[in-house]
Amino acid sequence: MRLTFILQDFKKVGELTKQYSNLPDSYIKRSMEQIIYRTPDKPNYLRRSVGKKQIKFTENRPWTIQSKLENTLFTKTPVIYVEPIRDWSIFKGDRVEILVGRDKGKQGIVIQVIQERNWVLVGNLNMKITTMKMFKRKPSTVIREEQPLRVTDQVSLIDPSDMLPCKIEWRYTEEGEKVRVSLRSGRIIPIPILAKETYDYKTRTSYEEKDKDTTADVVSKITFTPRLCTFEMDLMDKVGIKEDRIPSPVYWY
Amino acid sequence: MSSRYYPIYQIGNPQLRIFLPNFWMKLVKPTEKQPPNVVQFKVPLAMTNYDIKNYLQKIYKISVMHVSSELEDGLIKPVFKNGYLVKEEDFRRAYVTLPRGTEFIFPELDCEEIKTKSEKEKEQHLQELEASYKKHTQQIKGRFGLPTWFTI
Amino acid sequence: MQMKLYIQAYYKFNPFLSNCIRSHFGPLLNSPNFASFCTTRERFNKNLMEFFEDKKNWGKDEIRSGRSWKTDELRIKSNEDLHKLWYILLKEKNMLLTMEHFYKENYILFPSPERIDKVEESMKNLETVVRERNKAYYMLETGEDGERPGVMVHNAIGLPMYHKQEQHDIPKYENIQWKKNNVHEFDYEECREFLKLYREKIRKEDNYRRKKNNRYVKGLLKRFKNVDIDYLKEIYPDVNVDQYKNHDFQIGHWEV
Repeated sequence: MRLTFILQDFKKVGELTKQYSNLPDSYIKRSMEQIIYRTPDKPNYLRRSVGKKQIKFTENRPWTIQSKLENTLFTKTPVIYVEPIRDWSIFKGDRVEILVGRDKGKQGIVIQVIQERNWVLVGNLNMKITTMKMFKRKPSTVIREEQPLRVTDQVSLIDPSDMLPCKIEWRYTEEGEKVRVSLRSGRIIPIPILAKETYDYKTRTSYEEKDKDTTADVVSKITFTPRLCTFEMDLMDKVGIKEDRIPSPVYWY
Repeated sequence: MSSRYYPIYQIGNPQLRIFLPNFWMKLVKPTEKQPPNVVQFKVPLAMTNYDIKNYLQKIYKISVMHVSSELEDGLIKPVFKNGYLVKEEDFRRAYVTLPRGTEFIFPELDCEEIKTKSEKEKEQHLQELEASYKKHTQQIKGRFGLPTWFTI
Repeated sequence: MQMKLYIQAYYKFNPFLSNCIRSHFGPLLNSPNFASFCTTRERFNKNLMEFFEDKKNWGKDEIRSGRSWKTDELRIKSNEDLHKLWYILLKEKNMLLTMEHFYKENYILFPSPERIDKVEESMKNLETVVRERNKAYYMLETGEDGERPGVMVHNAIGLPMYHKQEQHDIPKYENIQWKKNNVHEFDYEECREFLKLYREKIRKEDNYRRKKNNRYVKGLLKRFKNVDIDYLKEIYPDVNVDQYKNHDFQIGHWEV
């Protein structure tokens, strides 16, 4: 039996993808690992688990079924070289110019950001056309899909003052906010609203409350008043239980 | 209490009260035929019969007459067709009897409805595709290769 | 403009969670008359249906829900509220676990399983808040936090281990049985070979990791011309980046 440590690729999942998913970290990790067997949590066992060690990041999000089908247990994951970037500068909803390929020189808007691979998808540009052949009752169709572009070389941000590609830098304003500034004109390029979109809502104000959600009034209400007692003592006072017995001394070792 | 350590019992000590129990319980479909007032549960190993009775009475307000439970091994099964063996976690199976006269019928999911629903959607999608394909072929009948904007 | 908060809590704060009697399970607040629900005999036990989800949600592909409670939001709440919320969360967790099992038996995918993680996370946060409050009380009164103590010890093989201490009614020097099981005289000569091999294993793993990192950095320098080298040094402190930077192999096909 091959025993592996816990999946280490969870660290590689980008913060933007986590933000988009609006899911707890433990769920993303659980769905990525595909663990078959884990040793029981007892002192006579070492903490080991059998499962997927590495996964290949693609356009499919790592918690979906599609990525699970791509990364089955016995598929080998190739070594993929990804250039480390200190400050991520391109977000969803940005206007961008393509520097390479068939659509060189065209401008478009970013649909999706794949931070794990330094990729970006630009809407209706850099498309790949495939024909699905006729199969039984299904008639043949043509499908167009956006192909990913690398952030570092193949795409550049656009300066809103003259609508031309520019290089940018992260700087601080006098108020202490971190902003992107184009080096040519010195103008601030604002981060679009679409960048904060998640799976659950487009914007925070447009979120529809579900059946089991608490309202904001209930949450923001302050009900705690500090007292010199523990959690248990406070509750016992509320119910009216009196406990005068003193616990006898114990030895910890 | 908050450290989740079960202290030793000594005579004259204050009563032990658990304010935030972290036991879970699963209601499970009975494996064999049973009288209608018996319900089956899956619970963690550390839970005793007394715990189960209190848990149901205090938290869910269910009147319980009797509880009996037994330990059960997790299933041992191969991962793939000829793969290595893997054991699931052990658990405790509890049989809870409700008072005489009451009954609990385990609800059933309409699997066929759910499956047919997805099939219906698929068929609808196929029919739409077929219709559009037929329309398209009728439009370009006799002049194959010409773009559609030649026709009205 | 004040930002609106949308928080998941699984039921509104007030309704359920109320029952009490002195017992093993501790008192729950606002106790109803215990005898009242014991005597009423309904033909069909409806309270057991709390273990199942609402029937309108059965067979759906996905069931949307909000996010989990954070510690900052729980710190405002009183002990009473936290106690109520715990049982709401506990009931929700039981319900989700039964539904997961229920779907599994019928060979259908369980819709949106992330709800279990959300509930567990908020339960974990709640427990940390309670622990914080208790710690503060004990530190004020006794000078110690009331947590379970522990020490680092060497076990019988000679490896360091965290020993969680236990309560005993007699002191250590009198407890012969405990000494027999837990106190070991560490013989270096006996464990020497084992420790040698163990250290070798760790060293090999470290070597493997270092070589892998070296290979990866080489590959990066070969493929990408404008790598941020200062940042690369931060991520891989073991690797000598300057050595590989101007190496012949790393020049590649770039125009000079």
